Amino acid sequence: MTSTGFLVAAVFLPLFPFSMLFNRLFGRLGNAWLRMALLLLWPQLGVLALVTPGEKPHAWLVWWAVATSGLYALRTVALKDLRLWTGYMATSAWSLLWPAAAFAPLDGSAYTLALQAAGLSAPFVLLTWISGRLDAEHGAAYAGVCGGLAVTVPRLSGLLTLAILAAVATPLVPGFFIVLATTLNALPAVPGAALLILTVWFLWAWSGVRILRGFIVGPARGAPGRDLGHASVALLGLMLVVLMLAGIGISGELS
Amino acid sequence: MEGFIVLVILLPLAAALLTWTSASRLQGASVRISIIGGIATFGVTTLLLGLALAGKPATQVQLGTTWGILLFDPLSALMAFVVSGISLLVHVYSIRYMAEERGYARFFVLLDLMTAVLLLMVSAGDLITLLIAWHLIGVLLYFLLGHDTASQAAHRYAAWTLLTYRFGDLPLLLAAGLLYHAFGTWSLHEIFAHFTAAPDTRTLFDLPLADTVAGLVALAAFARSAQFLLHAWLPYSMSGPTPVSALMHAGIVNAGGFLINRFAPLFVTTNGVLHGIFAVGLVTAVIGSVLMLAQNDVKKALGYSTMGQMGFMIMECGVGAFSLAIYHLIAHGLFKGTLFLGAGGVIREARQDDGVPKDDLYTFVIERRPARRRQPWLVMAAITLVVPVTILILAHWVVANDFFQKQGAVVLLFFGWVTGAQLIFSTYRMRTENIWRLMGMILFSFTIVVIGYTLISHAFDVFLYPDPVFRSGIYSAAAINVFWFDALVILMTLVVVLGWLVTYYAEQNGQRWSDGFGALRRSFYRIVAREFFVMRIYERLSTVLLAVAMRLNVLLRWA
Repeated sequence: MTSTGFLVAAVFLPLFPFSMLFNRLFGRLGNAWLRMALLLLWPQLGVLALVTPGEKPHAWLVWWAVATSGLYALRTVALKDLRLWTGYMATSAWSLLWPAAAFAPLDGSAYTLALQAAGLSAPFVLLTWISGRLDAEHGAAYAGVCGGLAVTVPRLSGLLTLAILAAVATPLVPGFFIVLATTLNALPAVPGAALLILTVWFLWAWSGVRILRGFIVGPARGAPGRDLGHASVALLGLMLVVLMLAGIGISGELS
Repeated sequence: MEGFIVLVILLPLAAALLTWTSASRLQGASVRISIIGGIATFGVTTLLLGLALAGKPATQVQLGTTWGILLFDPLSALMAFVVSGISLLVHVYSIRYMAEERGYARFFVLLDLMTAVLLLMVSAGDLITLLIAWHLIGVLLYFLLGHDTASQAAHRYAAWTLLTYRFGDLPLLLAAGLLYHAFGTWSLHEIFAHFTAAPDTRTLFDLPLADTVAGLVALAAFARSAQFLLHAWLPYSMSGPTPVSALMHAGIVNAGGFLINRFAPLFVTTNGVLHGIFAVGLVTAVIGSVLMLAQNDVKKALGYSTMGQMGFMIMECGVGAFSLAIYHLIAHGLFKGTLFLGAGGVIREARQDDGVPKDDLYTFVIERRPARRRQPWLVMAAITLVVPVTILILAHWVVANDFFQKQGAVVLLFFGWVTGAQLIFSTYRMRTENIWRLMGMILFSFTIVVIGYTLISHAFDVFLYPDPVFRSGIYSAAAINVFWFDALVILMTLVVVLGWLVTYYAEQNGQRWSDGFGALRRSFYRIVAREFFVMRIYERLSTVLLAVAMRLNVLLRWA
């Protein structure tokens, strides 16, 4: 039962090569709303599978997860397609829930892990919504195609910027506190894993800044798209504020 | 009192929020809110500094259950005053300077956010708050440097800055983790109390906790303060708006010195870490100054000048002169900020003047006047060597006549002497109508500067670290064996004197001598002109990593 549970968890909190299944599916889904639903549900199934065996993951599984996270973090650096980038980043982030479960000081409850999974997924849901919109406007959410968005659609590019910042675990979103807590918990037990997690975090920043530059910087390319309305900005901004408040809430795990 | 501490952070945050929300309605006028916020913040920080100077005891406010502690102590009050003051100047300067730029209101929102985060950093009383502020500074600086969204170059170098800062976040995070696991608290006050009680605590791999954490904190400070090998971003970040350069050079890049001061109770228990810090600062100061001299771009030269100054600031920490480093970072912030904000005026003047140096050849050919005669070399050399050291010793003697017992003070004295000697030697090399008048003015200003510097640094010492035992403890932590110390001072003196003799020999033998070393000098210049290949190595490394990432993506069929 334990092995089966971890095997299922390896698919839904994706460990390489099982991660290819999620990324293939995520890339194939044409409907942005379906992709958003997938981002919310997929890791929750993984958390359920991870906590079902009732024991913490073995050390080799944790190393495998951290290595998967590193692999996908590195691969995102070379990406220009926002949809692929979102999928890879989600894979890299969710993999870190394995060490989060393994090194949690208290027995990581399903509730805490589920909350962490949702906190990590939230920015990717927002990014998927934006990439769906860019797909509709420009035919592809591709950095080479939709450059210079800051000039043509400043509100949308502002939202894209904030979503990317949230995706790469910038303070004060939940991702920041989850990665921070995971690193700090791993540090005394397996310092090497903690260093690798920090390297992943650094790669996220590099990757984030590259994809951001591809979309918002430079002269406008292609036909000017339709910018977000003030009401949409207010609503989405409110969502980001809620996300930050959730992050501050999650920071209680640091005690 | 607690309300004021919180208000310092909230005021710029509120200004940012109001400026942003009113931008579409008020257009450019919305930046007035930002300016009012800046004035109010400066007013509150001035009040807090006044309270600290009046002897109000250190206190803290806890906003959250596990983190969110804000400190009020002499260091935070002084730094908050400096940050808010420089920020206000930059705000006011930007009103007209940025008026024609796209994203005018956004710029002020970012400035306000940066001010808030810098103030959060200087008043952070726990490790989580410090980590958050430390991290956010890099992110906000990226957007300030890349304010011109049409400029690929600005964003490229802003990205370099962000990545270097992110690299610097990681050792601080590790240090925080080690401290938390050792003492079970995030509060800096409690951590330092634990350290005082148990300075020999061990950590991972049975390493001494104090030395390990101090090394990590120093590494974080090096990344923030552009120390050698982590400096490549600084001279290239000039593509950003000039007010951002001023703010960055005056209030952000010197955060390394602040961080080391914040962790002073930790450094005082270390063994040898400060020597490493001194070495890194020394290398940075020398290399930064050499690179500055080789630049033909004024802004890039200013960037390398900052690198050299930051090296000097870190070096001051390395010799135990922690409070002097704070004075240095403030003084450097003010003069470098002035240089950046005055850069436009200098350029305008340069356009009106051809800039041809009025040397002997110029005066002889253009002005039809005979070349001036120089004063005897040996007399000038004697003045150059004797005068600065006399002024320095007298100035330090006014403050404390036992300063020769402090190695750090002697090291700084030595540097002061070399700098003073260099200054007077440069004067000797100048062509002027009345050399004695010029010398007199330079000596007068040198005396004022040295005495002022010595007295002010002493005042900083007493204000920031009122406990004399603690002050001498920092110097002790930085001290080295007396034999080696004396040997190094003698060696350095000989190197300086030898340099002088070489210069004298070159003066006497002219072109013949310089031809002999021509090839060597040209090779050295080529290396300096390529900035010691540091940027190229990083670019190569990033290219290789990108190629690996791309190959992996293709190999794994993009899944």
